[in-house]
Amino acid sequence: MPRRMALFLLVCICTGSLYAQDLAGIEIHGFVTQGFLFSSNNNYLTMKSSDGSVQWTDGAVSVSDSLTDKLRVGIQLHMYQLGDLGGANVQIDWASGDYRVNDYFGIRAGKVKTVLGLFNDSQDVDAVFLWILLPQGAYPIDNKSFFLSHVGGEAYGGLPLGERAGKLLYRAYGGYAGLDLNGGYVKQAADAGVVFTTAPGGNIYGGDLRWEAPLKGLTVGSSARIQALDGTTPMASVHVPPTFISADYAQFEKGKFYFAGEYRRFPLNTVVTIGPAVIPVPQDARSWYAMGSYRFWKKFQVGSYYSHYVNKALDTRLPANYSKDWVVSGRYDFNAYFYGKIEGHFLHGTGTGYYDSTNPDGLKPNSNMLAAKIGFSF
Amino acid sequence: MLYACAEMRVMSKTRWLVLLAGFLGCWSAASAQDVVLIANKGVQISEIKNADLHAIFMGEKTRFADGSHAVPVTLKGGAVHEVFLKKHLGESPGDFRAQWRKAVFTGQGAMPRAFDSESALIEYVAATPGALGYVSRISPQDKVKCLAAVK
Repeated sequence: MPRRMALFLLVCICTGSLYAQDLAGIEIHGFVTQGFLFSSNNNYLTMKSSDGSVQWTDGAVSVSDSLTDKLRVGIQLHMYQLGDLGGANVQIDWASGDYRVNDYFGIRAGKVKTVLGLFNDSQDVDAVFLWILLPQGAYPIDNKSFFLSHVGGEAYGGLPLGERAGKLLYRAYGGYAGLDLNGGYVKQAADAGVVFTTAPGGNIYGGDLRWEAPLKGLTVGSSARIQALDGTTPMASVHVPPTFISADYAQFEKGKFYFAGEYRRFPLNTVVTIGPAVIPVPQDARSWYAMGSYRFWKKFQVGSYYSHYVNKALDTRLPANYSKDWVVSGRYDFNAYFYGKIEGHFLHGTGTGYYDSTNPDGLKPNSNMLAAKIGFSF
Repeated sequence: MLYACAEMRVMSKTRWLVLLAGFLGCWSAASAQDVVLIANKGVQISEIKNADLHAIFMGEKTRFADGSHAVPVTLKGGAVHEVFLKKHLGESPGDFRAQWRKAVFTGQGAMPRAFDSESALIEYVAATPGALGYVSRISPQDKVKCLAAVK
């Protein structure tokens, strides 16, 4: 706790003038957040949330520079602590060179953020969201570092379709993505006795196509991600053949209103081999959410969403195979840099975010939660 | 007035009027409802669509209509900044900031350079090829050109 508070204060103080630093064209930006979670039942996201937990800190610093009109390079370092996940490991969020040939075509190479649905590549940028937790069926925070980025490249651009037809934005990528050794999937495997010391990973490719409609504020799009994954431990191996993950979404923004919805399908045919035993772990995850918000005045915004997750490969009547979450949120911006959020969750089912090791006495099917967060971004 | 005489010769009456309004606006204090769009003198265009302004200031476009490189710059805050965002981009300061934060922290863009004062912004625009910004007013001594915004 003192270390987390020290980190938070240090970043705030070091930023000095509260403005992003600009050293002869080099841009430096950063953010730090501190969260609190209390749950009525169960311990969520590896935190001891039933007692109230502040083990929830995020911080990042990005440095970038435009070398020419068309070429920009940059890097973002990220640290997070989420209960038992994360820790004192500095990760590279992204580090890339971006060559924008023109407004229709550009390429990025290095470690780049991975687009999937509306929020995947920005899900760690807390400052841009009203929500403390994004819908967990689609954007599981305990595994965000796996989904966030890949090593490889992407092509991107926009194609104007004329004043009456809007604009098409595209991104297509390929590369390699590995699990975070301090992330949720590896911890779940460890809880089941499969302890990885090197990060499993695999090739990844996919893309995103979104249409900015002529009706101002309306965006409709679709993403695909094909992911393979292999990993070994001295005792076991895990194999996931190339898997097709899809996301279809729409959002509409007008004045003080914002609405969005997304449908995600994530089928997996994982095979775990332990000695002579070959154990299939079937999953056909389907999730969707619908959200809406209203900005009462410049500094204050409220909203609500419903998030639905179900694993169709298993008995969907069991709480372990579904998660249905009603959420209400509020955000207050103290100024352009500091903000605070508060959020209530009414969670049914235990399909996402729960771990055996932090719930040794088993799980109750329902839990209500209160989350709060303060953040600083420059 | 000397800035754009060459271009004006071939313009329609409507464009004349739009430009005239723009130039008149340059030398008077902008009302609370408007701002003066300024650009580096090397910028060849004399008017710009609000849709292009939006695209350039939101990082979707990096070039003016004539193909030359655009360098948008902003004020850090204040009434002039808010009027510009609302009238020309259709964005609130909060939304503008959030969209740029998203671009910066996902590695997809670099935030426009922001200035504490209008004088610093004018000085930068005068010295930087392709620079484009806004202020409440300019004087004839400022070495920048005015752009007229069109719908």
